[in-house]
Amino acid sequence: MAMTADAVDAPDLGRPRRRPELSEAWRRRLPLLPALLLMIVLTQVPFVMSIWYSLTDWKVVPPGPREFVGLDNYVNLVKDEFFRDAVWVSFQLTVGPVVGAIALGTAFAVLLDRKFFGQGLMRTLIITPFLLMPVVVGLIWKNQMFHGLYGVLNWVIEQLGFSSVEWVSRYPTLSIAIVLIWQWTPFMMLIMLAGLQSQPTDVLEAAKVDGTTAWGTFRQLTIPHLRPYMELGVLLGTIYLIQVYDQIAVMTGGGPGSTNVPYFVFQRSIGGGWEFGQASAYSIVVVLASIVIATIALRVLSGLLKGEDAA
Amino acid sequence: MRSWVRLWSVAAVLGGVVIVGCGGGDDSDSGEGAGGGEINVAIVDNPQMQDIADLTPELFTKDSGIKVNYTVLDEGTLRQVTTRDVAAGGQQFDVAMIGMYEAPQFGQNGSLVDLTPFASKDSAYQIDDIIPSVRTGLSVDDKLYASPFYAESSFLMYRKDLLDKAGVKMPEQPTWQQVADIAKQVDSPDTAGICLRGKPGWGDLGAAFTTVLNTFGGTWWSANEDGSVGEAQITQPEFKQALEFYTGLIADAGEEDAANASFNECLAQYRDGKVAMWYDATVAAGLLEADDSPVKGKNGYAPAPVAETDASGWLWAWALAIPASTPKQDLAWKYVAWATGPEYLKEAGPKVEGGWAAIPPGTRESTYEIPEYKKAAAAFADPTLEAMASAPIDNPGTTPRPGLPGVQFVGIPEFQDVGNQCTQQFSAVIARRTSVDAALAACQDIASGVGG
Repeated sequence: MAMTADAVDAPDLGRPRRRPELSEAWRRRLPLLPALLLMIVLTQVPFVMSIWYSLTDWKVVPPGPREFVGLDNYVNLVKDEFFRDAVWVSFQLTVGPVVGAIALGTAFAVLLDRKFFGQGLMRTLIITPFLLMPVVVGLIWKNQMFHGLYGVLNWVIEQLGFSSVEWVSRYPTLSIAIVLIWQWTPFMMLIMLAGLQSQPTDVLEAAKVDGTTAWGTFRQLTIPHLRPYMELGVLLGTIYLIQVYDQIAVMTGGGPGSTNVPYFVFQRSIGGGWEFGQASAYSIVVVLASIVIATIALRVLSGLLKGEDAA
Repeated sequence: MRSWVRLWSVAAVLGGVVIVGCGGGDDSDSGEGAGGGEINVAIVDNPQMQDIADLTPELFTKDSGIKVNYTVLDEGTLRQVTTRDVAAGGQQFDVAMIGMYEAPQFGQNGSLVDLTPFASKDSAYQIDDIIPSVRTGLSVDDKLYASPFYAESSFLMYRKDLLDKAGVKMPEQPTWQQVADIAKQVDSPDTAGICLRGKPGWGDLGAAFTTVLNTFGGTWWSANEDGSVGEAQITQPEFKQALEFYTGLIADAGEEDAANASFNECLAQYRDGKVAMWYDATVAAGLLEADDSPVKGKNGYAPAPVAETDASGWLWAWALAIPASTPKQDLAWKYVAWATGPEYLKEAGPKVEGGWAAIPPGTRESTYEIPEYKKAAAAFADPTLEAMASAPIDNPGTTPRPGLPGVQFVGIPEFQDVGNQCTQQFSAVIARRTSVDAALAACQDIASGVGG
């Protein structure tokens, strides 16, 4: 994408031609403007309204006057230990699954990078978890895998001679993290597979000629080559996993160790708290955090694209 | 330049995704206002409501000419939608189904139409036939704000055969201590002594636990003299005693994975023979005595166990209310009078799939005089009616309560939120992830944010 801009700019350095070119650019953009306008109306107007709400003490139940309270909601947010707990859970439920999914995803990608019979079928099967709806995933795991009486995991554990574990209620953070890793491993695997398939074969052959072990090749050549892909996976995964809500809603319905920031915002607003002012302040903080992460993600993404152009 | 555009678009999308959840608070879809006999009704997705939705064209629309558009929602969503629509003055629905928790609150703040004038003019509705405790729970100052469609109390269900085998007898009116002793005696590796709700939520663990709290002499908040909310009482000895008893009983003789169990989970375990006793809603009895139930005919029913008070069963109803914002009050009343009147129960009996035992229970005394119903519900009709009648709606505990009447909840708007958050802490105690004292301290913090 960056190439087109360079290609147009490069031959036309002469100043006189700048003007018509600008209008040309705008003529090209014109058909896109309605879409842009719609997007601004649908996303930025609610955003600005939420900023306004976050500065008021708007409470729906019991209904009262909506008054401007300045930054009070943000001050309360810093003082609220339950919000701090939710931030900690969000952190665990983002970092854990991202790292886990990348590790497993890389392993699967390395296996799938080899030619073998039924490779296509295998790849499709491994991708399936990512295609399921999050709510369905949560319910399947809760009722068929983790369940204390009827769950598959506990059946296996009991066959091995141990007593069954009440996964979801005893270890809520771990249980949700396992489900997220299960669902996000395929996504990471696809990114890593793309990375592996772009690895130049001549380097690998040279390494083989020099007598490097398979592990040495993987550690010294493949991992460095995969690094930008891993960074991309980390950042894309982080952006999505920081917003996880569905699995938590159906598996635990919140509580210590499973209420993350989005679920907390839900509980403070339409989930029973009905404090729209306070909840708006929470969500503004989440947006700011997400924008910071997204900015870094875009830097990495453009770095990756530039790298490919050079190659 | 380019990267800025891209940056903004990603920021915009992200902003949209996160904000939509809480910024869209006031987009009230106004009703069509089509006039001439069409109303919008929001209902909860329990089996009895599904039945009435199926029967409406045949039994109601044909005679009255009024077309009814149903919106069927699960309990949580219905609560969110009606709170927004009714309390915040939307105009989406002409009739909304609300619970006993919301009805008096919404009525008192003027969001609902007072049904008493309609009801007293309508002789077929028979307002005096409504079970008194239910009517009290849906009224403020003798004004009825919602007409009950379905009502329940709570009682103790137990397996007579298992108790006999263990050589124990259930007293006429058991105390919680006696129930705990029995539970420990019948508890075995295959069959837990008792199933109690442990799942977070003010209507799940919150309901069952609050009835125990009441009868142990505890309360969530003290009441000021004018009935407003006083100080949070979570760290008081009675509250601690109740929570220690409840979580201790589950630890000693409770069901598997109790921190995840509510009505449906306990129902499944009881029907599978994995628990010997179960304290829950009276409506469960109909399911235990159904034709396809493996435990049919093996069950005894005892009143809700007590400690310091004489009766402790909860009281709940799903009821139809008319929002004050609707322009079609007369049409809406015609529908409410039909759906919750005595005639519907008689007409529905032979027509609904589950048979007579599946008609909406607990709302009218006349239901318990229908011969076919008495026969179909012989095992549980009397215990249910007694539980409904004795539910201590006016005075659930040993101290005055703040807010509007309520047994298993406190009749103030903030209880929903406080109950949800605190039961998450209590559920963590049941899962052995935190201690009673830590949970109580956290809950005291949460509850202290109210009133004062």
